[in-house]
Amino acid sequence: MNALEVRNLTKVYPDFTLDKVSFCVPRGHIVGLIGRNGAGKSTTIKGILRLIAAEGNIDVFGKDIFKDELTVKQMIGYVGGGFRYYPMNTLSAIRKAYAPFYLTWDQSKYEKFLAQFGLSEKKKVKELSEGMKVKFALALALSHGAKLLIMDEPTSGLDPLSREEFCDIILQLVREEGVSVLFSTHITSDLMRIADDIVYISQGRILAACPLEALLGKYRLAHFPSLAEAAAANAIGVKSVKDGYEGLLTRDTQISEDTVITDATIDNIMVHLEKAAEEGRHV
Amino acid sequence: MFDLVKKELSLCMHPTAFIFLSFAVLVFVPNYPYEVIFFFSSLSVFFCCMMARENGDIAFSCALPVKKEHIPLAKMLVVIGLQCAILLLVGVMGAIKGAVLPAEQYINQAGISANIVLVGNGAILLGIFNLIFFPRYFKKPDKIGVPFVIGAIVVFLLIGVFIVLRWTTPLYSITLNGLNSENTGAKIAAFAISAAVYVVLSAVSCKLSMNNFRKIDV
Repeated sequence: MNALEVRNLTKVYPDFTLDKVSFCVPRGHIVGLIGRNGAGKSTTIKGILRLIAAEGNIDVFGKDIFKDELTVKQMIGYVGGGFRYYPMNTLSAIRKAYAPFYLTWDQSKYEKFLAQFGLSEKKKVKELSEGMKVKFALALALSHGAKLLIMDEPTSGLDPLSREEFCDIILQLVREEGVSVLFSTHITSDLMRIADDIVYISQGRILAACPLEALLGKYRLAHFPSLAEAAAANAIGVKSVKDGYEGLLTRDTQISEDTVITDATIDNIMVHLEKAAEEGRHV
Repeated sequence: MFDLVKKELSLCMHPTAFIFLSFAVLVFVPNYPYEVIFFFSSLSVFFCCMMARENGDIAFSCALPVKKEHIPLAKMLVVIGLQCAILLLVGVMGAIKGAVLPAEQYINQAGISANIVLVGNGAILLGIFNLIFFPRYFKKPDKIGVPFVIGAIVVFLLIGVFIVLRWTTPLYSITLNGLNSENTGAKIAAFAISAAVYVVLSAVSCKLSMNNFRKIDV
C-alpha cells in the first residue's frame, strides 16, 4: 500500500491549470516534488491537503481524503516552509492550541524533538531563525505520530549548513520512525542527497514520476561544438553555453566520438526538459 | 469545535476584544448616544480579523484535522460570546445607573435611556453587523476593510434611525424610554423581539459564512 496516491488532481485557475496530476509516494520513501517557480508544486500540495477546492482522487494509506478527511489529516504532518504563523506568540502557546486537535499527540516525543533541535518553548516565533522555524514546524508535525510528512519548500531560505542538518533529520525520521515524505523544492542538491523518487512537474503537468536513479539514468548531458551537431544528435532542450551547446540525450542515443558526455544532474534535466517543453517538444 | 474555539481564544484575540467590553460603563456618560458602545464591539471584531490575517491563522487552521466550515463557525461563536457579554454588561450597567442616579439624570437627551430597550437596540445593531460583515469576510478573508466599512456605515445609519425614533415617535420617546421599572412589559417585549432578531440574523450569517468559506481556496 502506498503512503499517498494522487490521481488526476485537477485545479483550474484563470491563468493556470493543474492538469490531471497523478503520482504516488511509496511507504517509507522520500519523494521530491520538483519544478520551476509557478510550475504547480504548491498547488499540488494544497490540493492534496484540501486547502483548495480541486478535483481528483487522493488516498492516504488507502483512505480517501474526500470521504475520511479528519482521519486522514490525523496521519499527515504538514510543514509549509518555515513556521510563518503567530509571530508574536510563544512556542508554548502555539503547542497548547495545536496539540488538542491530535488524538495521538505525544508530549514526551515533542519534548524530545525540542531538545534534539535546541528549541526553547519560551521563545516567540519571531525570535526564531528560519532554520529554527522549520525545526519547530517539524516538531509539531511529528509529535502527533504523522506517518506521512508533506513539506512545501521547507529548505528555501535556509543556509547550506541548515539544509544539510534538515536533510539529516529527514533521513533519520524515515529510518527510525518509518515516515514517508513528499517534499517540494527547487533546491535539487537536497534531493540528490535524500530522495528515493522524483516527481517532476512543469506548467501544471507531470513530466516525470519515477525513482531518482531511473531519472538520472535516463539522460546524459551532451556538449556539442555546434548547433548543427546538436540537432543531428536529436538532443533535447538544446541551449547555448559558454563554448558551444548543451542538450540532453537519452541513454540509447548513438553519438559521435567528438561529443563530450557527462552524467546529467537533476538541475541539468530540469533546465533542458523545461527548454524542450517551451519549444513544444514532447519528451 | 471546542478545540477550535479554544485556539481562537488563545491565539486570535486582539486585546481590544476585551478592552472594549469595559466601554459598557459609557452608559454613565450623560446625554450620549449609547448605541455607539456596540460599534466598538464591531470594531474589535475588525481588529481580531486583522490579527488573524497577520498571523496566517486561516492557513494554519485549514491544515488542522477539522472540517473547513467549522473554522468560520468557531470564529463566529467567539464573537457572539463577546457580543452577548457586552449586551449583558450594558444591561447591568444601565440597571446600576437606574438604581443609583435620580430619575431625571437617567433620561438621555441624546438617545434612548440606558435600559433593556437599549440592549435590544444593541442586539439588532450587532445582528445586522454580523449579517453584513461575516459572509463577506469569509468569502475573501484577506479583504477585511470593505466588509467592515460597509458594516460600520450601516451600523451608524441604524444608530441614527434609533435616535430619530427616540425624538419622533411616542413609542420610543415615552413607552420604551426611561427606567426599566416603567412600562416594564413593553420594554421586555421590545427586548425579546430584538433578541430574536439578533439570533436569526446571526444564525443566517453563520450559515452564509460557512457556505462561502467552504468554497474558497486558501
